[in-house]
Amino acid sequence: MLRAGCKRFAGLANFKNQTQTLSLLRFYHERVVDHYNNPRNVGSFDKNDPTVGTGLVGAPACGDVMKLQIKVDEETGKIVDACFKTFGCGSAIASSSVATEWVKGKQMEEVLSIKNTEIAKHLSLPPVKLHCSMLAEDAIKAAVKDYEAKRAKLGENGDEAAPVDKAADA
Amino acid sequence: MASFFCSRVLARRRLVESKTSWCFHRSRYLAAPVHATKIIESNAIGCPTASSRFSFCSRPLNLDDAQGPAVVDYRSLLQEDEFHRLADATIHDLQEKFEEYGDCIQIDGFDIDYGNQVLTLKLGSLGTYVLNKQTPNRQIWLSSPVSGPSRFDWDRNSQAWVYRRTKVSLYQLLQSELEQLCGKPISLS
Repeated sequence: MLRAGCKRFAGLANFKNQTQTLSLLRFYHERVVDHYNNPRNVGSFDKNDPTVGTGLVGAPACGDVMKLQIKVDEETGKIVDACFKTFGCGSAIASSSVATEWVKGKQMEEVLSIKNTEIAKHLSLPPVKLHCSMLAEDAIKAAVKDYEAKRAKLGENGDEAAPVDKAADA
Repeated sequence: MASFFCSRVLARRRLVESKTSWCFHRSRYLAAPVHATKIIESNAIGCPTASSRFSFCSRPLNLDDAQGPAVVDYRSLLQEDEFHRLADATIHDLQEKFEEYGDCIQIDGFDIDYGNQVLTLKLGSLGTYVLNKQTPNRQIWLSSPVSGPSRFDWDRNSQAWVYRRTKVSLYQLLQSELEQLCGKPISLS
């Protein structure tokens, strides 16, 4: 609506003024607006679920916090589902939304190669918002790392089940 | 008077709550694989090789920067006033050097702007650099048309702003990129 209004306004002015006016107005790219209005995969998984990896990055003081969760098929190592919750600007929300879309159906190693530059290019992020895309990349990596850590811990606990029981009895 | 007291108490409580939540998160990380002993300074947190059968990653994850909001070691952080002093000096120094550089090179659409503590260097069609302070993290953030976003911490040993992931210093990065983009070398240190 804003866009339509601006276009009409620009149309009324003469050409010289039109270019001046348009250069002062800065639009979010339509993909960012789309992700903001229709975010994909918003939600939460149970973080104690052993098939879920949770990546939590950013800091409220900085203005950006992203929580990205992945659900992994234990047999194949494939990410079957992903969801996110983000506190931040429209670009941060769009970046994390795109990240959840891109990780679905991919192998865990494969998603580690998702680069912030790809996300930024997809959303046509301006220079000042490139940090949002980097945070989304970090969130993906953190989620994978958390899943790996959980699996390793479960594995260790499985091996040491007997001693732990003994300690509990003593 | 009473309302002022209440707001102070509330603010302090929020601070305490946020600190305890950081502590909770920190203990979660401390329970992670044995390799992750010193969270702040470790550079490579790898999946333990002993239980590699549980790991889907064939290589260690280099995630020292992506630690989440929990792990901030307040003792090793710069004091805020020292951070502001260093960061402001760096940014103003860069602003001057960029202005001199702009006089030497002929680039269409060259512009330098410093407003709201954000330094913007436009190089026309070659791209735009944005440099700003990120006070809560005691970092300087750079957005580069060549290398994308990077975050520099003050390294006391080398007395320079260093990006932990690549170990490159802010000045080094800017020098090499500007020379690459504009063709003329620039000396920043």
